[in-house]
Amino acid sequence: MGGRVPSGRFTVDSWQKVRNLLPGFIIPALILIVWFFFSGSTLLPAPDLVIRILLHPSEDLLSCGSLLWNTGVSLIRVLLGLSIAILLGTPLGFMMGASQRFRQFTSVITELARPLSPIALLPLSIIIFKDTSFTEVLGLNHLKYTRHILNELQIGMVFILAWGGIFPVILETMHGVRGVRKVYIEAARVLGAGKLFIFKHVLLPASLPDIFAGYRMAVGRCWMVIIAAEMLPGTNSGIGYLLRYSYQLSRLDVMLACIFIIALIGLIFSRGLELAGEKWLLLRARER
Amino acid sequence: MAVSLTHLEKSYQDPSGKSFRVLGPIDLRIETGEFLCLLGPTGCGKTTLLRILSGLEQADSGKVSLGAGRFGYVFQQGALFPWMNVESNVMFPLKAKGMTGSECRSRAAEMLNHVGLYGFSKSFPHELSGGMQQRTALARGLVTEPELLLLDEPFASLDTRTGINLQEMLRAICGRLSTTVIYVTHSIEEAVYLADRIVVMGHSPGRIVRNESLNLKWPRSRLSSEFTEILLSFRQTFEKLVDPSATLSS
Ligand SMILES: Nc1ncnc2c1ncn2[C@@H]1O[C@H](COP(=O)(O)OP(=O)(O)O)[C@@H](O)[C@H]1O
Ligand SMILES: [Mg+2]
Repeated sequence: MGGRVPSGRFTVDSWQKVRNLLPGFIIPALILIVWFFFSGSTLLPAPDLVIRILLHPSEDLLSCGSLLWNTGVSLIRVLLGLSIAILLGTPLGFMMGASQRFRQFTSVITELARPLSPIALLPLSIIIFKDTSFTEVLGLNHLKYTRHILNELQIGMVFILAWGGIFPVILETMHGVRGVRKVYIEAARVLGAGKLFIFKHVLLPASLPDIFAGYRMAVGRCWMVIIAAEMLPGTNSGIGYLLRYSYQLSRLDVMLACIFIIALIGLIFSRGLELAGEKWLLLRARER
Repeated sequence: MAVSLTHLEKSYQDPSGKSFRVLGPIDLRIETGEFLCLLGPTGCGKTTLLRILSGLEQADSGKVSLGAGRFGYVFQQGALFPWMNVESNVMFPLKAKGMTGSECRSRAAEMLNHVGLYGFSKSFPHELSGGMQQRTALARGLVTEPELLLLDEPFASLDTRTGINLQEMLRAICGRLSTTVIYVTHSIEEAVYLADRIVVMGHSPGRIVRNESLNLKWPRSRLSSEFTEILLSFRQTFEKLVDPSATLSS
C-alpha cells in the first residue's frame, strides 16, 4: 500500500528533518552571542548565570522554593483547571452541537461570557473564594503549615483557569459535532445503528479532531492565564510568582530563567499535543 | 422480501417556501428475490423514493409495506466512515446489531473476499481507489446478508470498465444470497444489463412511466442483438421524458 515507508528509509528521513530544522537555530544562536558580549556593559546578567540556574533546578531560589517546585505548582494548577474545563466543557459542547434547542438556550450566556478575560475575574474570585485551598476543602488541616502541593491549589485560581479553558473546549466541540456530515449519520441509521451506537461510533470519532483542537487551545490559554494570575496579588508560589518576585529583588538571572522555562513549557504543550494528536488519535485518517 | 408501495406521495418545499410535488402517486410491487432497476433522469425523485423506503424520510401519504427483515443500503458515494479502516466499516452493521468479536470479524472477512478486497482490511478509505471504496460500501451493505438491498447509483462515479466489473460482481453475489434488490440508476445500459425488471420514472412529479420485465438470459452480452434492441427501446422512452416534443414527431 502507498504511504507506508519502509523502515530502512526512516533514518534518512529523520536526517533530512534535522537538516531542515537547522537554519531555524541561526537567529537564536546570534542572539545568544550578542547577549554574551554585551551582558557585561548592561543590566543583563551573563548567560552562564542563567544557564547555571537552569542546570540546578532543585536549588532554592530567593527563599521561594526551587525552580522545579514552582514550575510544578503552576503545572498542577493548570492541570486541575484544565481537567475541570474539559470534563464540563466537552459534554456541554456536545449537547450544544447536537441539540438546537439547547444551543438556543445557552447561546446568549456563552457569547457574553466568552470574551471576558479570566484575569478580569481574578479579584472577584479572590473575594468569593478568599484564599481557600484544597487542603481546607478536603479537610486536611494538619497539612496546612507544611510545604504541600494541596496548600498551593487555591479554589479561586482553579476557577479562573477552568474559566479560561472551558470556552475553547465548548466552542470547538460544538463546532465539531455540528460539522459531522449528515451522510455519515444517515448511513449509520440505515445500517441499523441506534442513538447510543451512533453517538459512540460516529458522532464522537467524527468530531474528535475538533475536540482535540479545542483541548490544545485550552492548554495554551490556561498556561498564559496562570502566569498572569500568579503575578497578581493573591498567591505566593508558582513560576509566575517567582518571576514577579525576582523583578522586585532585581534578580534578572532568576527572571530570565523563569521566562525560559515558561516559553519551553508553552512550546512543549503546543507541539507535543500536536504530535500526540497526529500519532495516537489517528486524526489523519480523516483525510479524504 | 416483497415490497409494495401504494399511492405514495411526497412534496418538498422550494427555497421560497412553496410546496412542490416530488413523487407520486406511485404504485409499485417488488417480488421476493427480484432484481429491480429504477431508471430515471436526474432529479426525478429516485433518491427520495429510496429514502422513504429506508425510513430516512416520511411519505406525505400512501403506504409502504416492507417485510420485517434486514435491509442494506449503499449510498451514491462517499458514505464510508473515513476514520475507520475497511474492516471496521464492513463490521459496522454487525456491531450495530450487537454482534461481537470473532464472528463479526470472520463474516466481514468473508464478505471482503466476495467483493475482491482480500488483504485490504486494514487500509483506510482515503488510501483506496474509487472502485475499491465502492466495493467496501457494497460489502458493508451486504454483510448482514440483507433480504432487501437498496442501492443509489452506486457506480455512477466510476469509470466504465470498473463499473462493469462491479455490476457483474453485484449480480453474482445477490444471486447467490437471493437478495431482493432495488437498484437506482440514470444509466440505461446499466439497467438493461442488470435488471430482471426495469421501472422507468419520469419527473415533475416523479411517477412511473414504464414497468417491464426483461427476458434476457444470463450471462448477458452487451453486444447481442436482443440487448441492443431492448436498450434502444428504453432509450426512446427516455428521450421522450427528457424532451416531450419527441412525442409529437414520432
Ligand atoms: N430535502 C429536500 N428539500 C427540498 N427539495 C429536495 C430535497 N431533496 C430532494 N429535493 C428535490 O427533489 C427532487 C428529486 O430529488 P432526488 O430524489 O434526489 O432525485 P434523483 O435522485 O432522481 O436525482 C429534486 O428536484 C430535488 O431538488
Ligand atoms: Mg439521486
